[in-house]
Amino acid sequence: MASIDIAAVRKSYGATPVLRGIDLTIANGEFVVLVGPSGCGKSTLLRLIAGLELIDKGEIRIGGRRVNDLPPKDRDLAMVFQSYALYPHMSVRDNMSYALRLRKTPKEKIAAALKGASAKLGLDALIERKPRALSGGQRQRVAMGRAIVRDPQAFLFDEPLSNLDARLREQMRFEIKKLHRDLGATSVYVTHDQIEAMTMADRIVAMNEGVIQQVGSPSDLYDNPANLFVAGFIGSPAMNFLQARTVAGPGGMSVTVGQAEIAKVPPATPTGPVVLGLRPERITLTAPGQGAQAAVDLVEPTGLGMIVHLDLDGQQLKTFTTERLPLKAGERVGLMVPPGSFCLFAPGTGERLAG
Amino acid sequence: MTTLDLSASPAPPHALLRRIVLKAEPYLYCFPALFLIAAIMLVPLIVGLSYAFRDLVLLDPASGDYIGLTHFGEIWADANFWNALQNTAIWTIVCVALQFGLGLTLALLLNQPFRGRGLIQALVFLPWAVPSFLSGLNWAWMFNPVIGPLPYVFQALGLMQTPDNILSSPDHAIWGPIIAMVWWGIPFFAITLLAALQSIPKDIYEAAAIDGAGAVERFRSITLPFLAPTMAITVLLRTVWIANSADLIVVMTHGGPADSTQILASYIFTQAFQRLDFGYASALAAVMLVLLLAYAMALVAVRQTLLARH
Repeated sequence: MASIDIAAVRKSYGATPVLRGIDLTIANGEFVVLVGPSGCGKSTLLRLIAGLELIDKGEIRIGGRRVNDLPPKDRDLAMVFQSYALYPHMSVRDNMSYALRLRKTPKEKIAAALKGASAKLGLDALIERKPRALSGGQRQRVAMGRAIVRDPQAFLFDEPLSNLDARLREQMRFEIKKLHRDLGATSVYVTHDQIEAMTMADRIVAMNEGVIQQVGSPSDLYDNPANLFVAGFIGSPAMNFLQARTVAGPGGMSVTVGQAEIAKVPPATPTGPVVLGLRPERITLTAPGQGAQAAVDLVEPTGLGMIVHLDLDGQQLKTFTTERLPLKAGERVGLMVPPGSFCLFAPGTGERLAG
Repeated sequence: MTTLDLSASPAPPHALLRRIVLKAEPYLYCFPALFLIAAIMLVPLIVGLSYAFRDLVLLDPASGDYIGLTHFGEIWADANFWNALQNTAIWTIVCVALQFGLGLTLALLLNQPFRGRGLIQALVFLPWAVPSFLSGLNWAWMFNPVIGPLPYVFQALGLMQTPDNILSSPDHAIWGPIIAMVWWGIPFFAITLLAALQSIPKDIYEAAAIDGAGAVERFRSITLPFLAPTMAITVLLRTVWIANSADLIVVMTHGGPADSTQILASYIFTQAFQRLDFGYASALAAVMLVLLLAYAMALVAVRQTLLARH
């Protein structure tokens, strides 16, 4: 196990910059998830750590050792690929023991490592099979097994669950997290799925356009997004963004949408246009006449609760409630936002404003 | 459909006929295709083989009698046949080995990314597109010290004392057609092996690199197993084709000097179209057919045992 230090790393393909200066320290034993939309550079960053591509500028250290110029085989990392990348001509046993055999590990040690890993992953019955005789979920397990028999410095995961169906994905998410708890191995996990990031990470690294947008615990990113990108990317249903203003009134500073006052803000907040970010589940629906007035546009039941689409002074917003309210399209409702459960962003830069 | 009608049919006199027609039905559907295959492939083969058992010399109007296995006895005693068989083995093994080795090297090089790769890939295919007759003539000229540069190159390299025509040396003439054949056949291996190389997923190499495999080990444990089926089938095909291919030898050396480059295929050609002894040529062809069949079956058997072991 080892820590990974990434300092001022840059990478371009031709004239196209992919990573524009990445600084990140991953502690020993930590599970870090790199998340962002496709093309944000998260997979490139992972491949740079693995050594599959070389960095243009900056430095990567694994366990304190500078690895910039080391080929992948000398970095002692294990990687799980999206396609699993199993060796099709080798049995499950040979797939899993390949790295150990290359390192001339003694036979008894290989057997012990295989036994431990296959028991952990439930692969005992499949050990002689070829990958083509396995289901998608089983292949995924073999790919995991190939990584854990090696006891590497760190695990790298490149969207390992994207090729599985929804139910299997949920199960493997749980199993990977449990494995991490048991092994305590440093892990870097790339995904575009914010739910995977939220459920699995010790820390999330949200990336966009080759730049780290925010690093923090899942609840940090959810409750205190640093900017509009993070606020919009994390959470489902997504955060509402409303064109709003901060105005000074007789009762102090408040934020308003159209004529309706939504919430009080601290007196130090500057007045002017802002983007108001509201988490759908933090909005309370009330009887008409209380709070800001809105019209019901559409109701989507999800089983767990319902998503209510509202029209607030010409702007669309969603609310989520676990109550089963008898709402119909066109009906008028009131909405209230408890203090401290909204975010304000600067309209131009998208950066978070205090308050 | 019809069976339902049949079981309900109350007319006993026709029942037998109907059953026969019904049994024959699938064969009738197959008949046109089977007839064509028989007419185009089997009949000529059988007619050709039948010549082997007849005394059939085109210039001798009295010939044409059935003579049993006489031709095969003559073949057994024919020193030219044994010489040609030996030359066929050398010719085939050297040509296939060089074509395969160089073709694989070329495929591995072309599989590396570099500027202008698309153009080079297209150019590499060119020799294959040259008619073999023409390439034979070209190479014959290049080996000719009067108009060709190669004898001087060989001399400069110390391979020859004087710039002679390699095609007129009984000891080395076979290398002329071999070089021409290798040049002509490399693209076949290069292109088929390159296609197989490009079908290997990139992340398998990456996974192996992370697992600790260097370049040589990746070639051994990933590239080779992935290429093995293509290698087996291309080597099998090329062996049969090269053993059968007389055109370069006929064009470049006519089997000479002193039969030193005569292979079975060119010997058959000589017997049939120069001595016009179609009977003897057919008997030689039958021997060659049996040898190639034995080779193909041996290769299939080896493949089966290899597959069974895995």
